[in-house]
Amino acid sequence: MPLPRPLNISLAALALSVASGLFATSAQADTLRVGMSGGYFPFTFVEQDELKGFEVDVMNAVGELTGEDIEFVTASFSGLAGMLESGRIDTIANQITITPEREAKYAFTEPYVYDGAQVVVRAGNESIQGVEDLSGKSVAVNLGSNYEQLLQALPNADEIDIRTYESNIEQDVALGRVEAFVMDRVSATQVIKEKGLPLELAGQPFSTIENALPFRDDEAGREQRDRVDAALAELRESGELREISEKWFDTDITQP
Amino acid sequence: MLNLDYMWGLLPVLLRYLPLTLQMATIAMCFALILACLLAVVRVSKVPFFNGVALLFISFFRGTPLLVQLFLFYYGLPQLISALISITGVTAAVLGLTLHFSAYMAESIRAAIVGIDRSQTEAALSIGMTQSQLMRRIILPQATRVATPTLMNYFIDMIKATSLAFTLGVTELMGATQKEAAGSFLYLEAFLLVALIYWAVVEVLSWGQRRLEIYLNKAYQR
Repeated sequence: MPLPRPLNISLAALALSVASGLFATSAQADTLRVGMSGGYFPFTFVEQDELKGFEVDVMNAVGELTGEDIEFVTASFSGLAGMLESGRIDTIANQITITPEREAKYAFTEPYVYDGAQVVVRAGNESIQGVEDLSGKSVAVNLGSNYEQLLQALPNADEIDIRTYESNIEQDVALGRVEAFVMDRVSATQVIKEKGLPLELAGQPFSTIENALPFRDDEAGREQRDRVDAALAELRESGELREISEKWFDTDITQP
Repeated sequence: MLNLDYMWGLLPVLLRYLPLTLQMATIAMCFALILACLLAVVRVSKVPFFNGVALLFISFFRGTPLLVQLFLFYYGLPQLISALISITGVTAAVLGLTLHFSAYMAESIRAAIVGIDRSQTEAALSIGMTQSQLMRRIILPQATRVATPTLMNYFIDMIKATSLAFTLGVTELMGATQKEAAGSFLYLEAFLLVALIYWAVVEVLSWGQRRLEIYLNKAYQR
């Protein structure tokens, strides 16, 4: 994680940029700008100012193969899609799940993580054993994630009190403020194992999810996508992708 | 229960991001003050046409959330005007803070100007001062004293509002804290620490404000 860029804008330069709307920061062609939230353990998180996680390792490995410099850009999760669309980043490495809506809009790589949506409750909460028990309960999901849609698609969707959060859903369930949250099974397991929050999985995953890297669906975006796709296939072939997965999860989440 | 070792270790990390937070707030405050003064004077003197523009400006920037404005500038407008893409997150945050807070500050400056007793204007004009002399020599010095406490309020609010810049990809004090908390899951420690940092900064500012008020009150001491 680099230090915050020094605020090298003098008042005059700022005034100029505001007046002209021109502030050149066009990226070099050999840099891949990767957006992530930095707030999704153990995929992307920060410890002592150092950006770490599964996504970081995967993207660095991709960069080694494609020869591109990987530039990580962290922003609130809700800002990432806007950054991709406005061309400020080239892709998002934040466990983006492929959905029909997103596929219509972005050029996705092949999936590099296969997972399931998982209900998680406070430890000792016996009243919820699966999605069918969520009727009449409050359930937290992250803003901009697709778990809300997955919940909406359930037969008992009308009876579920879905709460959308910007962050800290694990904390609020641990505190008992909401009764459950929905997250992918892999990181939910990881959170419970490593962080000692009083949480437990409720039943089996209720939906298969495939996660991939979205690029802008234009010529340049598809070109980048193809390069990264080729690199991912090579990493899968060589076993490096599996190694990265096992490093963070003790299991291979990159296979269907 | 608090993990004090963690907080102690996190303190120097978070402090690295404090300068960016303060710089964004300070630059935005400077621009906002200039803009707010212009808006206030236009409103008070009812300059034709510009008065209407000022009214519309204040109405929009006071009437919509800062986060909405930031998203509009940073993510929305570039879809219409592609040149805007080159604006950095820091610039967009400073611009958003400037426009948003200048709308509020304009009204508090206007209130301070209008609050100066009418007799002073009449006295100044009767001895042959022009409108601009009246503003510069009589009204504004007094209005400054009246407006200072509320303007400082806005500056304090602005420092805290910089925490929205993380939605634009700017890792400032709050963004750094969120990411660290995600890595450690020690939410209480991380957010308590960042709260203490903001509080300390605002306390220092409040001390500065008291000094400034004493200075501005000199002429009124008996």
